[in-house]
Amino acid sequence: MSLRNRLFLLVSAVVLLTVVLVTLTVSASARQSFAMLDVERTAALVEQFRREFADQGLQVAERVDRVAQSDEVSRIAASRDVAPYVNEATTLAAAQGLDVLDVVAADGTIVSSAEWPARFGYRNGWITAGRTADAPAAFLQAIELPETTTLALVAIRTLAAGAGNLYIAGGRRLDRKFLQSLVLAPGMRVLLYQNLQPEISNRQLLTGEDDALEAAPLEPLIARVIHNRQETKETIEWPDGPETVDALPLSGRDGSVLGVLLVGSSGRQLAALVSRIRWSGVAFGSVAIALGFILAFVISARVTRPVEQLAGAARTVADGDWDVHVDDVRTTGEIKVLADAFETMTRQLVDHRDRLVQAERVAAWRELARRLAHELKNPLFPLRITIDNLRRAKSLPPGEFDEVFDESLTTLQTGLGNLNTVVGRFSDFAKMPAPEFAQVSVNEIVEQSASLFRAQLASPGHPPVTLTLDLDPSLGVIRGDSEQLRRAVQNLLLNAIDAMPGGGALRIVTRRDGAVVRIDVSDTGQGLNEEERKRLFTPYYTTKQHGTGLGLAIVQSVVADHAGKIWVDSDPGRGATFHIELPA
Amino acid sequence: MTRFRRPFLVAVSVCLAGAVLSAARPRYGGTLKLETTDTGAMRRVNALVYEQLITIDGSGMLRPALATTWNANTGGKRWTIRLRHGVKLHDGSTLQPPQIAAILQALHGDWQIATEGDALVIDPARDMSDLPWELADSSNAIAVRQGTGTTVGSGPFRIERVAAGVIALRAHEEYWDGRPFLDAVEVRTGRSSAEQLTDVETGRADMVSIQPTDVRRSEQRQLRIESSEPLELIALTFEPPLATSANEAIRRTFAAAIDRAAIARVVLQGRAEPATAMLPQRLSGYAPFVLDRTAVPLSRNAVIALPANRRTFALRVTPSDAVAQAVAQRIAVNARDAGFMLTVQAPAGLGPRFDVRLVRLPFRAAAPPEALSDLMAGLGPRILTLLGRITRPDPGASLGDVLSAERAMLATDIIVPVVHVPELYAVAPRVQSWNGSAVLSSGGWNLANVWLNAP
Repeated sequence: MSLRNRLFLLVSAVVLLTVVLVTLTVSASARQSFAMLDVERTAALVEQFRREFADQGLQVAERVDRVAQSDEVSRIAASRDVAPYVNEATTLAAAQGLDVLDVVAADGTIVSSAEWPARFGYRNGWITAGRTADAPAAFLQAIELPETTTLALVAIRTLAAGAGNLYIAGGRRLDRKFLQSLVLAPGMRVLLYQNLQPEISNRQLLTGEDDALEAAPLEPLIARVIHNRQETKETIEWPDGPETVDALPLSGRDGSVLGVLLVGSSGRQLAALVSRIRWSGVAFGSVAIALGFILAFVISARVTRPVEQLAGAARTVADGDWDVHVDDVRTTGEIKVLADAFETMTRQLVDHRDRLVQAERVAAWRELARRLAHELKNPLFPLRITIDNLRRAKSLPPGEFDEVFDESLTTLQTGLGNLNTVVGRFSDFAKMPAPEFAQVSVNEIVEQSASLFRAQLASPGHPPVTLTLDLDPSLGVIRGDSEQLRRAVQNLLLNAIDAMPGGGALRIVTRRDGAVVRIDVSDTGQGLNEEERKRLFTPYYTTKQHGTGLGLAIVQSVVADHAGKIWVDSDPGRGATFHIELPA
Repeated sequence: MTRFRRPFLVAVSVCLAGAVLSAARPRYGGTLKLETTDTGAMRRVNALVYEQLITIDGSGMLRPALATTWNANTGGKRWTIRLRHGVKLHDGSTLQPPQIAAILQALHGDWQIATEGDALVIDPARDMSDLPWELADSSNAIAVRQGTGTTVGSGPFRIERVAAGVIALRAHEEYWDGRPFLDAVEVRTGRSSAEQLTDVETGRADMVSIQPTDVRRSEQRQLRIESSEPLELIALTFEPPLATSANEAIRRTFAAAIDRAAIARVVLQGRAEPATAMLPQRLSGYAPFVLDRTAVPLSRNAVIALPANRRTFALRVTPSDAVAQAVAQRIAVNARDAGFMLTVQAPAGLGPRFDVRLVRLPFRAAAPPEALSDLMAGLGPRILTLLGRITRPDPGASLGDVLSAERAMLATDIIVPVVHVPELYAVAPRVQSWNGSAVLSSGGWNLANVWLNAP
């Protein structure tokens, strides 16, 4: 991974981590604040309900008092026939703003009922079931209506009548209007469950709104409050978010739970806030990542670009081109020091290389001169002796002189021929032709080259050398110059045979290794030491007494012209193996 | 002191007696403003304009009108009706016996009618011992057609003007029984019960028709309540599938659960009578009968054990009818007490399906056959079809036929009588009546004897 990418990732990670931490911290803080606010709001609403409940109770008691003291009720109490007063409760209830008003005779039969006028003459169960004395304060009571049963806050008053007592029971329904009278904070709602059926039912749940409500998630909480008769708080999970519900039991005159007030505080606002914070975090994170990218780009322009330039220069140096300059890198600080040091290093490397090349060149010339001197000295020595013999033969008789003269001419001609041969070899190396590429079979070249030497190796008196071929049949053909390759292989074979003057084993192996073709020529000769291995391919270097030192140089030159590679593995006394790799 | 006390007391007594007599003395003049619903208004107006030969008084007895006497030979095959002499029509002309004979002949083509001086001789095709009752029916009122096509009568009032919702009557100055005390009568129709009650309370009307549920309110406002005999039957009619024979026991139970006495006494403020038959006892003359039914009422537990769809009913009432709704609500309470679930429907338009309907069936205060015929006509052909083959009694049918028809109607409890209701009027205190109530037992208006006290 490049430095730029790493730098980018690092900056992005730091920014992202910072945004996430800030988001989580703010979210946690918001949750805590909301929880505290929720507790306060719920407590305030519950207190408001209790206050409203008490106020309503007082109002109901006062209004029932007024009804009981009215002339109409006095007339009913004084009348023997109450039939004319069947609708009196409706009128009185309307006048006093009561939803429920029953005038009940001493025997418990209804004289007049505002909430159910047609029920006159039937017994009212609850007014006379408990204490017959006035209940000073209002209480919660289940009231039967024509279609349903409802909860009402009622008060009872008793009047003395001719035939016994007359009971006045009036009140207000605890219904949707009552719930709507409660002032709710945003996100809060209040529900009233009327516990008037044996089983918990959706229809018994009243809200301050007209929307129908799914009661199923609330049922366990309601059941628990009814059973325990204690205020209970629970978080309800709705499809659109959680809601904290505080449930209060509402008891009747006999202590039974007639209703449950449910004060709900929606967690939807908190969830929305957390969501907003989260999305803000995402937005800020995105912006920060974009800024980080820009920052990384800027930093890379100032930091990584010189580094990349240095890396590129280093790769160029590694590829062999040492003449690289990084003096155009615009930077400061450590990178500038590094660039200067790199510049100095390459400059010194080039200087060293030049000096080395020069030294090599001098050494080569010296070697060439030495070799030339050596090669020329041998044929020149007989020529000088012959010329000396001719000078001394001048004094000999003509017959003898002629004989010596003829013999000397033969010797001179032979010596000059040897000199010509030496000069020709050097000339040939200097004039290595460019390869002519075609599709050639390496195996064929190896076999043809080996066949040339088989007869020589089999000739009598020749040290016993076993020639073995191990050719890869899947080698195929490569692009190369067959003549030059053949010459290179023959040189290696000749070199190997020369390395085994006492006989041995010569093995040629061809293999295909991926995209290259390899030719390995192994002998069991005396091997090479390290110095010999280093200088083996240097022109005119030879370990043989009569070698020119050009054989392996020619092989290296051919391999190089084919974009191949040659090297040798050898240890002294354990033979040597020459490896050639050519592109397939 | 004692010497002067007696003459003083005598003088005071004379003054008081004079004041009382002065207050009780009829007063001529004024316009009576009368408001009523549309039902039967024109019929009552016609009764003030057109007269029969014989009429029925407040006690239900025959009374001379355009005829002075009536006699029949044996078997009622020939009747001699002596006519009142010098009766003036509203156009000032004198009503002649041939005019009356021609009118009755047109109404009864099978009668042989002849005039003998001031008398009519009527030979009905069959024995008609009740011919005077027939002549007392409003259908036999004498309306003389003039050349212009209009008709004139001889009643105490003549029609002065008929406009939208208002009928103006003017006193007939030459009425044979003396000019009415009132100068005029203004009859307004189409007013709702609540509007009428408000009008009479605020003095915009002198006499208005009211519902039984308004009686107490009217009495509290010092209005006088005058009523007719029962002229309406409030009843329940069952609809299929409840009207099938398979549900007869349910209908019987339902009918038996209704507390008619409470409805009559409390809901209708004692102005109605519990009904166990189609006709009120006062009209039919026979005692409430007991029907022999095969089905017996179910116990409450048996009703509760029924499937919900067999004990849950919808009772349909007319939405604008407060009386019907009050009665229906009470029936719903009774039904609930018996184990049924009854919901009262009062839809403004087309409502959902219903099982029982509460109907109000008016009938004439005439002979039982006609009254029962009115009731059967009110039920409509569909209910009559459900009741089976019941022949509508002909006019003049015997009480035995009426009783048989009534028994057949009630045997299956498809129709359940609840109460008989009279027509009620709230009358302002300034409206006085010389001879009997301002409202006749037949529901007619006795306005010829009504006067208005000075404001």
